[in-house]
Amino acid sequence: MCFLSPLFLSGLVLLGLPLWLHLLRQYRRNPQPFSSVMFFERRLQSSTKHRRLRYITLLLLRLALLALLLLSFANPFVNRKSATAGKRKLIVFAIDRSFSMRTANELDQAKNEAMRVLRGLSGGDIGQILALDSRVESLAGPEPNHAALEAAIQTIQPTDEASSFGELTRALRVEAQTTGMQLDIHLFSDMQQTSMPANFKDLTLGPDAKLQIHKVGANSIANWAVESVVTSPHVYDVKRTQLTTTVTGWQTGEATRKITLSLDGRLLGTKSVTVPPGGRAQAQFLAFDVPYGPHRGKVSIEPHDSLPNDDEFNFAVERSDPRRVLFLYAAGNSREAFYYKAAIDSATDTGLIAEPFPLEQAAGKDFSKYAFVVLNDAGGLNDKTAQDLCAYVQHGGAALVVLGPSTARSGRVPLSATRTSDDRTIQGIGFIDSQHSALAGAGRFENVQFFQTNRITPKADAHVLARVSDGSPLLVEERMGEGRTLTFTSTIDNSSNDFPLHASFLPFVVQTARYLSGKEEGPSSVAAGTAVPLRQTRNEGTAADVLGPDGKHELSLAESTKAFTFDLKREGFYEIQRSGGQRQLVAVHADRRESDMRKVPNDTLDLWRNTGSATVEAKAGAPSTETRPFSLWRYFMILVVAAALVESVFGSRYLKEAGQSA
Amino acid sequence: MPVDVQNRLLDPSILAQISNLELIAKTVVDGFVSGLHRSPDFGFSQEFAEYRAYTPGDDLRHVDWNVYARTEKAYLKRYRGETNTTVMVLLDVSASMGFGSGPLRKIDYAKILGASLVYLAHLQRDGTGLITFADDVTNFVRPSSRQGQLIRLLHGLDSATLGKRTEFARPFFELQRVMRRRGLTVLISDFYEDPETVIKTVEPLRYRGNEVVLFHVLDAREVEPVLDGPVLLLDMETDEAIETSADYAKTEYRGKIAAHIEAMRSKAQSAGLGYFLLRTDKPLDAALREYFKIREGKL
Repeated sequence: MCFLSPLFLSGLVLLGLPLWLHLLRQYRRNPQPFSSVMFFERRLQSSTKHRRLRYITLLLLRLALLALLLLSFANPFVNRKSATAGKRKLIVFAIDRSFSMRTANELDQAKNEAMRVLRGLSGGDIGQILALDSRVESLAGPEPNHAALEAAIQTIQPTDEASSFGELTRALRVEAQTTGMQLDIHLFSDMQQTSMPANFKDLTLGPDAKLQIHKVGANSIANWAVESVVTSPHVYDVKRTQLTTTVTGWQTGEATRKITLSLDGRLLGTKSVTVPPGGRAQAQFLAFDVPYGPHRGKVSIEPHDSLPNDDEFNFAVERSDPRRVLFLYAAGNSREAFYYKAAIDSATDTGLIAEPFPLEQAAGKDFSKYAFVVLNDAGGLNDKTAQDLCAYVQHGGAALVVLGPSTARSGRVPLSATRTSDDRTIQGIGFIDSQHSALAGAGRFENVQFFQTNRITPKADAHVLARVSDGSPLLVEERMGEGRTLTFTSTIDNSSNDFPLHASFLPFVVQTARYLSGKEEGPSSVAAGTAVPLRQTRNEGTAADVLGPDGKHELSLAESTKAFTFDLKREGFYEIQRSGGQRQLVAVHADRRESDMRKVPNDTLDLWRNTGSATVEAKAGAPSTETRPFSLWRYFMILVVAAALVESVFGSRYLKEAGQSA
Repeated sequence: MPVDVQNRLLDPSILAQISNLELIAKTVVDGFVSGLHRSPDFGFSQEFAEYRAYTPGDDLRHVDWNVYARTEKAYLKRYRGETNTTVMVLLDVSASMGFGSGPLRKIDYAKILGASLVYLAHLQRDGTGLITFADDVTNFVRPSSRQGQLIRLLHGLDSATLGKRTEFARPFFELQRVMRRRGLTVLISDFYEDPETVIKTVEPLRYRGNEVVLFHVLDAREVEPVLDGPVLLLDMETDEAIETSADYAKTEYRGKIAAHIEAMRSKAQSAGLGYFLLRTDKPLDAALREYFKIREGKL
């Protein structure tokens, strides 16, 4: 028997205490009255052999109690052999189902190879099926039922996403940790170079994993693809439509490709380009006709090659009339409207027209007809208009709230009700969040000076996008229900600042306008696997909906009221209706990284294999024995309790005897 | 009365169950007198000596009714033996007298003895008095044979409480003041004092023609102590504590106490004093017989 905390054994010296007490008690008795001690003499028992330990049983019990308690604290244990299961082997089948596996019949080859390996396993071998694209999905196992594993392999279909070996390695490391098993990994893939992570360290497998690579497909495959399509997703003037497409070849020679532009299946134009060997070629389509409304566009090339799926590129475009922006200004303060309208009108591709309107006449106006509302220095905003504006924003609208001297005098920020005060300190720019969509491309406001600002304290959930040099907020975004507001704490004319005199003024006005109108200049097409937002708040009363490329609803009833985002996994067109009522047609294209068929060099694969174990020795299902410490402290504590009970019984008995003898 | 019943009445364990001291005294004396096979009449001598005028409270059985018939005045017959002896009972009530291992403590036993003696003296029409003492006189009842004296004496005995130390000189000084006539002095004590000192204190009384009886009252465990191992003893008078062993109590102590008792006896006898050792576990009749013997011898 050993002890984990042997220091407690030093307390065994305390065993002397009961011994001393018992001897002392024996020796010292209560004085007995006697009539006269004149005939008595002092007599002591000097010899220890005359000292008798009375109540020996009680003494032994107390000694045992103390000793057992100390031994318990010392945490005694014995080493005991236990038959425990050693590390068993798990055979992992990782099958690449990314976009590139559509080439020829590579996925079928991978599945057949996986089946072959699976059938070669012993009856008790435990297996697991993983499907690999941008993420790793476990389809079956770990389990010894090989029929179930086969069935899972059969269900694997190609996706439109790119594969990631880094993601696979991370998932395998987690699997090894959670199962405690040694992994015998079989990877069935075309082993594209583009699937490798940027950092080789992300491919480290660990000592409990052995990697075997089953490469499918040819080592060298020439492939052309429509790599990208660049066009504005919103069209307001058909005379200004413009589309640029790029055709790329990998491991190709020089070739001519015919590019076709179609919209909703209607041919709009064709062009022919010569693609240099392993290079790119671009083509432009100008002033093509786009009817009003959302449309499904496609750019395709011919002739097709071994991977025809990337010879087409989907994009979405919508034509609409320019939307109006309501600019509310206080009477006698139309100067700022002039500046704002001039800025908006100068950007022809925004699809927005500024409509100045006196604030005093805005009561009862239907704000929902406008892309967004600009509330300019509205210190005298009446309650009815304020309520209507709040309701408009709450239901998905947007507003640009400009603060000026009138607002400073009123002491309150319209719509937000935040306190404000006048600040006449001359300041420059201190901070800009240029990564935010509202300020992307707006520059850094260099050399802009502000003579008058409204000093406000934003709410806790507000997002400060820009600050002046003393740290006061300059531009603040707030969410209100399904909508949002941007608050600019200075004027947008040159009365409180010289902002309009600087180059950053126009991009600021245009970008904030785009942001508030929801017409941000995003791509006309997104890659498969991209997530799109469905709602801004957790208001479960508003439902969102997504129709997939096959026209079917992608969300369940519960998801439609709760989901915040949706992953666009398949190539094609998705119709998205957000909880605020906005509808959007989104084009999804396959990840063009998969079009590059270049393979991972063999030496790189060897390096990858070497990050794991060369062999996996443990036999499946073989138990092993190991010596483990078995703690005895519980049993000692049980004895302590028993000794305490018996000691109390004996102690009370002897106490009674002592009382009677006294 | 049968002898066994008579002895039971004098058995201290029986007497301990009776709380009334007067009753105890009567029980003891009646038992003792019955054992002597004497006449139940009061008085021990039947020889007529003289007449005495009747005073309220006197026993009507001793009225000479013939004289009353003739003279219409009551007179008591007095017999030989009814002398004017004064009996003084001196009771030690020091703290050591509170020791006891049986049903009666020494003080209780001494009270019973004293009550029996005063009752017996009362029967014999002796003038009887009482002095209780510890380190000083705690109670003094002047000797008298008048009506109510017995009650006063019994009350004085019953109400006696334990004091602290023992001082023989004080009571005897008081006694010498009040004993104008020769009489009988009974000293009841445990005599935890140097025998020479005790005798020297008591002897002067003897020189004046008084009879003195020393009743040495001891508990059985004082004579034969039994200790269960080493023990710490506390003196009840001096509060002195002393550790001693069972072996010592069994051997050396017994020798010492026996020597002390013997010294008391021999010195008392040498001084012409009566001495009687009384153990609280023994009946009282032997003590009474000793008293009676001395009383008659005086006559």
